[in-house]
Amino acid sequence: MRDNTLKYLLVLPAVVVVFATAIWPLIEAARLSFTVGRLNRPGSLDQYIGWENYTWAFFEEPAFWNSVYVTALYTFLTVGLTTLLALGLAMLLAPGGKLRSAAQTLLILPFAMSPALIGVSFRFMFNPEFGLFDAFFGAVFPPLADVSWLANPNLAFAVVVMADVWGWIPFLTLVLIGGLASVPRDTVEAAQVDGASGWRVFRDVTLPQLGPVLAVVIILKSIFSLKTFDQVFMLTNGGPGTATQTLSHYIYFNGMKYGQIGYSASVAWLMVIPMIFLTYAYAKFVFRKG
Amino acid sequence: MTGKQKKQFWNLIQTTLILIAMFIMLVPIIWIFLAAFKTHVDVYQLKLFFTPTLENFATVFDDPYRLGEKLVNSTIVALVSVVIAIPIATLAAYSFSRFSMRGETMMLVIILATQFVPAVVIILPFFVMFRDIGLLDTRLGLILVNLAIVMPFAIWMIKGFIDGIPMDTEEAAMVDGSSRLQVIRNIVLPMAAPGLVTSAIFCFIIAWNEFLFALILTNKNAVTLPIGLALFKGEEGDLWNLLSAAGIIIMAPMFVLALMIRKYFVQGMTMGAVR
Amino acid sequence: MAEIKLKNLTKRWGDFVGVDDQSLDIADKEFLVLLGPSGCGKTTTMRMIAGLEEPTGGEIWIGDRMVNDDLPKDRDVAMVFQNYGLYPHMTIFENIAYPLRVRGVDKADIPERVQKAAEQVELTQFLDRKPKALSGGQRQRVALARAIVRTPKVFLMDEPLSNLDAKLRVTMRAELKHLSRELQITTVYVTHDQIEAMTLADRVAIMKHGVIQQLGTPDDIYNDPANLFVAGFIGSPAMNLINGSVQDGMFVTTGGTRLVKVNTPDRAAAILGVRADDMQVHEQGQGDIDVTIYAFENTGESTLLTVQWGKQRVIARGDRHLRKDQGDVVGISLNSDHLYLFDPETENRIGM
Repeated sequence: MRDNTLKYLLVLPAVVVVFATAIWPLIEAARLSFTVGRLNRPGSLDQYIGWENYTWAFFEEPAFWNSVYVTALYTFLTVGLTTLLALGLAMLLAPGGKLRSAAQTLLILPFAMSPALIGVSFRFMFNPEFGLFDAFFGAVFPPLADVSWLANPNLAFAVVVMADVWGWIPFLTLVLIGGLASVPRDTVEAAQVDGASGWRVFRDVTLPQLGPVLAVVIILKSIFSLKTFDQVFMLTNGGPGTATQTLSHYIYFNGMKYGQIGYSASVAWLMVIPMIFLTYAYAKFVFRKG
Repeated sequence: MTGKQKKQFWNLIQTTLILIAMFIMLVPIIWIFLAAFKTHVDVYQLKLFFTPTLENFATVFDDPYRLGEKLVNSTIVALVSVVIAIPIATLAAYSFSRFSMRGETMMLVIILATQFVPAVVIILPFFVMFRDIGLLDTRLGLILVNLAIVMPFAIWMIKGFIDGIPMDTEEAAMVDGSSRLQVIRNIVLPMAAPGLVTSAIFCFIIAWNEFLFALILTNKNAVTLPIGLALFKGEEGDLWNLLSAAGIIIMAPMFVLALMIRKYFVQGMTMGAVR
Repeated sequence: MAEIKLKNLTKRWGDFVGVDDQSLDIADKEFLVLLGPSGCGKTTTMRMIAGLEEPTGGEIWIGDRMVNDDLPKDRDVAMVFQNYGLYPHMTIFENIAYPLRVRGVDKADIPERVQKAAEQVELTQFLDRKPKALSGGQRQRVALARAIVRTPKVFLMDEPLSNLDAKLRVTMRAELKHLSRELQITTVYVTHDQIEAMTLADRVAIMKHGVIQQLGTPDDIYNDPANLFVAGFIGSPAMNLINGSVQDGMFVTTGGTRLVKVNTPDRAAAILGVRADDMQVHEQGQGDIDVTIYAFENTGESTLLTVQWGKQRVIARGDRHLRKDQGDVVGISLNSDHLYLFDPETENRIGM
């Protein structure tokens, strides 16, 4: 068989699977977003109401805006904190040696943990009676000794952010260590010989060359932060109240708990839009290599 | 301080910081491991020393929790997803890596993009469809939906590995007398084998840890391990010793798998944007 | 055994022209070297002969068959790649046996033929190792053995020595020459190394920008360069090229020095080419012209004098016992039997 035919035959099964499992649901979700779409009302999935679901979300639903706000703040905090802490840890671990490579190996463990399990373990750690972190914070800052973290809206939000940062630091650190390793050693050595201090070497030589990797990390982390569901569901289930209700959780809640498939599909599509921009940015970095 | 003293001092600070960081990263995991071996009573105290027991593991497999069923479901769902995804992804990845096609970049970007679509968007139409055709709460339904996340990932990851196989070798085989399919079978597959195993393990971990799909699609027969965690919410709160035992059963196998593929971790997770 | 004919062969990638309408006849049993700088189209030409690259236009004939539409496996060629293209998951034995196996040679015959090929390249003690356990030179031999284990119509070699260190390259070059004379198979050999081209080739085709500049024996190319590019590319140190004009049957440099008698009609602009070896170095005042030494280099086997000649620098080769220093003045004379004149416009040779 000639390559010209073969090459299309080889990709065909994969394209079919990707279309059926990922593209079709997107299209179908778009369709559903224009219907009444009640799970318990037969026929409502084909009952079109135009942009009503979207206008409902925008103008009638403070809960929607609440989850937008929660998701935005959550994304901003987790991306910022995780990136900064991971960069610091990567700088610490990059030189290698026994202790450092052992630490790098251990870093894989938290990332192999199911996010749902991370949620559970943080609920455990912040249990007001016998949570280890709860006890620790209580000892360090006495005003926090008797608070119930997950019952307080702001503290619950802080715990959700902490759990996310804890879960993602390992991955970002390992990526950044990879990035640091690809910064040519001789450029760093040249700067040292030229008389730059450690901080100047980092700022003037290492950081600029780390730029693309840092961008990849930030984009990727933003995408995952925007999508966050598992930990939140297991840790606070959006509460107390709606203090930690992310968009994914809001969509799940409206679609599955209240059976408003049409409405939740419209919110889901609103969520796809920032993803398109982030994916576009990410694709630029991936194809830069080729 | 002399230069040497400064250096030693700085090294000491670094070592301390690394140890603190490792401590923070490991404490929640260690805490779960400890709690899994504590009795119901011990777990409610901040005890570091206690008499370990295996009773929790026996309890979670017993009525009414029957974690064994969830373990079987998780294993079957993850395994079958991988077995379907890897061969299909390998063929596609080879084609993307070695040939130029009309719309190739477009296809690759779309495949990449599907990976980033929120799972909650994908699951809504599937829920409606599965409800109509009776696939709710079945392993088959869960496997089909899992392909949505595993497949694009596998294509990109395997493409990365095949990109790394030198063209020379394949061309040598063609000049030596192989057809394209013989090249794939005799040269590419054996050379890509470590990469294929790595990708399979990655996909297995992803499918194993998958939460949202299983939460929405299953309620009884096809419940997987992560959803099973919700079982241990008792009347008077969470049963932490049992939760921890179940947690170990979920994460320990993944730890082993993750350590096996640690070399390719970064490349895999960034889909080749960082090597 | 076969001759190769390329007829109006062209390869384009969008606007970029890799090989530009080239025709070339390679005789049966000939060793032809395609020589040129990187990007000149030599490797593309070879890859089109192998079937690894599809021509945009033109025809490729091997023997009496037009092979344009044949897959590489059906062209009956063997190829040695720059990075060897060994199969890392197979032993050396399996590597060498692969072309036989995949072409359905009787299994019973394979060990004997592999053994024979391995003997020819002196590899017999490594047959059960994997490629990564071998040194660069040994890998090179495996690639060779894999090519000679069959008797293909054509050998193709793509810079096979370029990944070896300098010393090994010289040894392998001689082995390659010996082997090729023994096997008597039509060979196309791509290189950017002029010494390899000169030593191995029956004929050399020098390429630039997808066009063959000159096709000829190593002697032709060295002693009778067709244009400025060939003159400058062949020979080390490179041929000196001096700008000037021809007045009254004499070559006059741009600086006004009447240098040497030439048998050409007068012309306003000309370039004189002269090799370092075709100049004699004398004491001051004893040559055709006195020049100041810009740099004096002793290579051991001879000496190289870079001299300032008006605004240009020229390299002359001196006796290996000559000792001079920067700033010294020496006399230089030219051997009028080995001078070349070029037209600066067309860059082609002007008959002398």
